[in-house]
Amino acid sequence: MQTLQEYKCPCCGGAIAFDSTLQKMKCPFCDTEFDMETLAGYDAGLQEEKDNMEWNTSAGSRWQDGESDGLRSYVCKSCGGEIVGDANTAATSCPFCGNPVVMMEQFTGTLKPDLVIPFKLDKKAAKTGLQKHLTGKRLLPKIFKDQNHIDEIKGVYVPFWLFDTDADASVRYRTTKVRVWEDDDYKYTETSYFLVRRGGNIGFEHVPVDGSGKMPDDLMESIEPYDFADAVDFKTAYLAGYLADKYDVDASKSVERANARVKKSTEEAFASTVQGYDSVITENSSIRLHNGKAMYAMYPVWLLNTTWNGNKYTFAMNGQTGKFVGDLPVDKKAAARLRFILTVALGAATYGIAWLLHIIGIL
Amino acid sequence: MKKKIIVVLFAIVICLCTVIPAFAANDGYAAEYSRVNDMADILTEDEEESLRTTLDEISLRQNVDVTIATVNDLNGYNTVSECADAIYELCNYGYGDSKDGILLLISMDEHDWAVSTCGFGITAFTDAGIEYIGGQIKSDLSDGKYAEAFNTYAGLCDEFITQAKNGSPYDSGHLPRKPLSVVWIPVSIAIGFILALIVVGVMKGKLKTVHSRPEADSYIRKGSFDVTESSDLFLYHTLTRTKKEKKENAQSSTHTSSSGTTHGGGSGKF
Repeated sequence: MQTLQEYKCPCCGGAIAFDSTLQKMKCPFCDTEFDMETLAGYDAGLQEEKDNMEWNTSAGSRWQDGESDGLRSYVCKSCGGEIVGDANTAATSCPFCGNPVVMMEQFTGTLKPDLVIPFKLDKKAAKTGLQKHLTGKRLLPKIFKDQNHIDEIKGVYVPFWLFDTDADASVRYRTTKVRVWEDDDYKYTETSYFLVRRGGNIGFEHVPVDGSGKMPDDLMESIEPYDFADAVDFKTAYLAGYLADKYDVDASKSVERANARVKKSTEEAFASTVQGYDSVITENSSIRLHNGKAMYAMYPVWLLNTTWNGNKYTFAMNGQTGKFVGDLPVDKKAAARLRFILTVALGAATYGIAWLLHIIGIL
Repeated sequence: MKKKIIVVLFAIVICLCTVIPAFAANDGYAAEYSRVNDMADILTEDEEESLRTTLDEISLRQNVDVTIATVNDLNGYNTVSECADAIYELCNYGYGDSKDGILLLISMDEHDWAVSTCGFGITAFTDAGIEYIGGQIKSDLSDGKYAEAFNTYAGLCDEFITQAKNGSPYDSGHLPRKPLSVVWIPVSIAIGFILALIVVGVMKGKLKTVHSRPEADSYIRKGSFDVTESSDLFLYHTLTRTKKEKKENAQSSTHTSSSGTTHGGGSGKF
C-alpha cells in the first residue's frame, strides 16, 4: 500500500510521491528516486523571501542664511540647463550644449551638498587628456582632431547621490558536475545535479548615481570610480572658477540605479563562492537591504561638447583621477578600405596556412 | 577442358602480340614478356616504348613487377579480374617465389579496368589502395588519354610500393594526399573577411569608451563580505552512453585463380 504526499520533482518538475515500499521519494514521470532528506532540503530552499530594497533617502541639508549669496545661477536658453557658478564667473557657455549662457540671477538652491571632492586636475591636464584620447585611433576622421574647440573644456561639479547600504542575500543555484569516461565499446557521460545555497551579507558604501538629468548616466558611470578619501565637507569656496550643476533627479528616483548595481554585485560576490561545478545557474536570489542612507555630493568633471557633421559628441574627464572618456565618430571610408585590405591579406595568409597544414598532413 | 583451351589460345595471342621481351634478368625474374602488353593496340609506338622504359625502371628498382595489359575483349573469361589473373600467370610476371607484382588490365569492349596483384603486391596494394588508383586513372581512361592514365598508374605504383616497404601500406584513412581542395580558396576569403570584420570591429570599439557599469564592485566595503550559509545538496544524476566507432585494420582481400595462385586485386568501369 502506498501513502502519498505531494512534492515537486527537482528533475522534471512533476508531482512526486513517497513510495512507502521503497522508503524513498520516486517521481512517477521520470522515475528518478530521491532520499527523503534530499527532498526535504530541496523543499526548504524554495521557501525564499522576496527582495527588500528600502532606503532612507533624506540627503543634503538646508542652506544657511547668507551662504548662497555668492552663487549665481545661469540658465541656458538653448537647452534649458541650469548651472551654478560663483558671482565672479563671467559670461560663459553651457557645458551641456555649448551655447552661450546669457541670463544670470541670484542662485536659489533647494539643498546644500553634504560633501565635495575638489578638482585635483587643472584645465591643462584636461586638454592633455583630450589630445591623448584622440591619438592612436586609426579610424577617427583626421579632420575631427583639427576642428575641436579644445579651449572650451569646462570644469563642472556634477551632483551625485551617494548610497551606503548593507545587503543580506540568500541565493539558490542549480549546478551540475559532469564526469566522462569510456571503455572499449562506449563513451559514458554522467551528469550530477546539485542544489546549492549561499547566504550572508555584504556592505556597500558611496555607490554614486548622478543627480543631473542632463548628464548621461553612462557617461558619468564611465569615468568612475572616484576615490572617496578625498571628499571634504562642502563649502561654496570650492566652486570658485568652476561651474556647478543643480540636481534635478532626486535621491528617491536615483536609488533604482543604485539598487540594480548593488544587486548585481551582491549576486556576483556570492556566485564566486560556488566553485567546483561544470555549470551554475542561478535559480533564485533574494536580496534585502538595510541601513540604507544617501548623501548629496559634488564630484569634479571636465566636460567638453562638440558638434561634428550634425552629431553631438561629449567628452568627460574625471577631475580627480584623470580618466578620460567620450565616444568618437568613425571614418566610414577608412573603415571600408581597411576591411578590404585586411580581407585580402588575412585571406591569403589563411590559404597559406591551409597549404602548410596540408603539406604537414593535418588537413 | 573448355577453360584450358581458352588459356592456350590466349597464350598464343599474347605471344604474337608481344614484340619485345623484357630484358631484365634480375634474380628470380622470368622476363619472358614485355611489361607493356598492348593487345588492344591503343598506344602509339612511342608511348609504348616510353611507358615500357618507365615500368622497367620502377620494377627493377623496387623488385616488384609493375605491368600493364590491354585487351579488346575478355577472351572468354567471365570477369575482367579473372582475365587479369590469367594474363599475370601466363606472362609469368612477378619477382621471386612469391611472384611479387601488379598488373593493370584494360578491356576496351566493356570499358573495364582490373588490377591483379600477387605476393608482395597484395600487401602493398590494399582494396582501398586499388580503388584509389582506379579513381585517379578513371577520368583519363574515359577521355581516351591512355598514355597519361598509364603514367599516372606507374607513378602511383612506385609510391605505393615504397610506402609498403616502409611498413605501412596505403589504406582507407591512410591514402596518398590529394592536392589542397579548391574549396579552400572561398573558405580562406571568408575566414579573411571574418577576421577583418573582427579587427575593424575592435578598432571601432576603441572609439567607443562610454559604457554603463552594471555593477558596483568598486564600492564594496572592505571586509564586509561574509558568507553565513553555505550548503551543496546532491539531488540526482543521469547517465548516458554512446557507442564508439571502431577503426578498421588495413586489409587486402584475396582469391585463388584456377591455377591455384593467390591473387589480390580490384576492378571497375571507366
